Amino acid sequence: MKKIISGLLIAATVLAACNSNKSAESQNSRNNTQAISQTDNVTLTTSSVKDTKNTVSIKEIVSTYLQLKNAFTNDNTTEAAKAGTALEATFKNFDKTWLTTAQKNTFVDIEDDAREHSEHIGTNDGNIEHQREHFEMLSKDIYDLIKTFGGEQVLYKDFCPMYNNGKGAFWLSETKEIQNPYFGKEMLNCGTITEELK
Amino acid sequence: MKLVRYILLALGIIFVAIQFIRSERNKNEKPSPTDIAKVFTVPDSVTVILKNACYDCHSNNTSYPWYSHVQPIGWFLTKHITQGKDELNFSEFGSYSTRRQLSKLDEIEDVMNDDIMPLPSYRLLHKKARLSQKEKTVLINWAGNLIDAGGIQVQ
Repeated sequence: MKKIISGLLIAATVLAACNSNKSAESQNSRNNTQAISQTDNVTLTTSSVKDTKNTVSIKEIVSTYLQLKNAFTNDNTTEAAKAGTALEATFKNFDKTWLTTAQKNTFVDIEDDAREHSEHIGTNDGNIEHQREHFEMLSKDIYDLIKTFGGEQVLYKDFCPMYNNGKGAFWLSETKEIQNPYFGKEMLNCGTITEELK
Repeated sequence: MKLVRYILLALGIIFVAIQFIRSERNKNEKPSPTDIAKVFTVPDSVTVILKNACYDCHSNNTSYPWYSHVQPIGWFLTKHITQGKDELNFSEFGSYSTRRQLSKLDEIEDVMNDDIMPLPSYRLLHKKARLSQKEKTVLINWAGNLIDAGGIQVQ
């Protein structure tokens, strides 16, 4: 009987230990995010012009998106996953306090969708075709974001008529030269510039 | 040898004990006001497929198998259902923004084309969830038509 009881006790202790570990971990990650948002606030107070702060953050989103795009152009699923996770974090840490109510609504609408796509790209390392499907929808979100807030750099909207079973899909690029992220090496130069965003 | 017997006994006691820790069931008698059928046209041919293959994890009503009462299987199912509903919940589709609705419809096409959903483990245990090419095409065309209509809601 004693042995049974001690056995149960050991099991209970192990279980409890596992649980407390977990909560310690989540506590840690919470602290980390807090730390990140705090550093964000620091940069915020140092920037003197309110409006530039937003464009800087939008610029961050755009540059992370472009990293993601380039990972797909190079057929690199792991780099794409990393950039996807980074993009989700960039959206999460974006400072919305400077936005007007209308701007905020538009931003949140885009953010909700874009974060989900970025997250999926991040968790699908190894399945580049599925990552690309999310990238297609993400590109729409980023395009709308730039149309609303500006991207602070010259970008090209490129269209590939073959992707998505011939339905076609677009992406945004920083280069005038066509480099297709949907097919990568397979068809690197497939596509045309349909719009120049300034 | 005695030790083995004690360990087995202890495991048995734990197994019995955890049967009393039950998670909340995903069951709702009342129809949801934001159900997809309230905002989009869903033909019967589509409803049948959604019910058989998707709703267990993507709606507010799960039709539970008997073994869901056995723990820890029940916990495992609850986790899957929570995750599934978080990704896409047909019972609350009407509460999504148009952007998200279109995104989800696009994803329905993708997971059908790529054979990602229903999950292989689910298909293993649910015969009706093993969709034929014809059934997949029905879903893909339905989602595609809604997207082409620009997510214009019916009502």
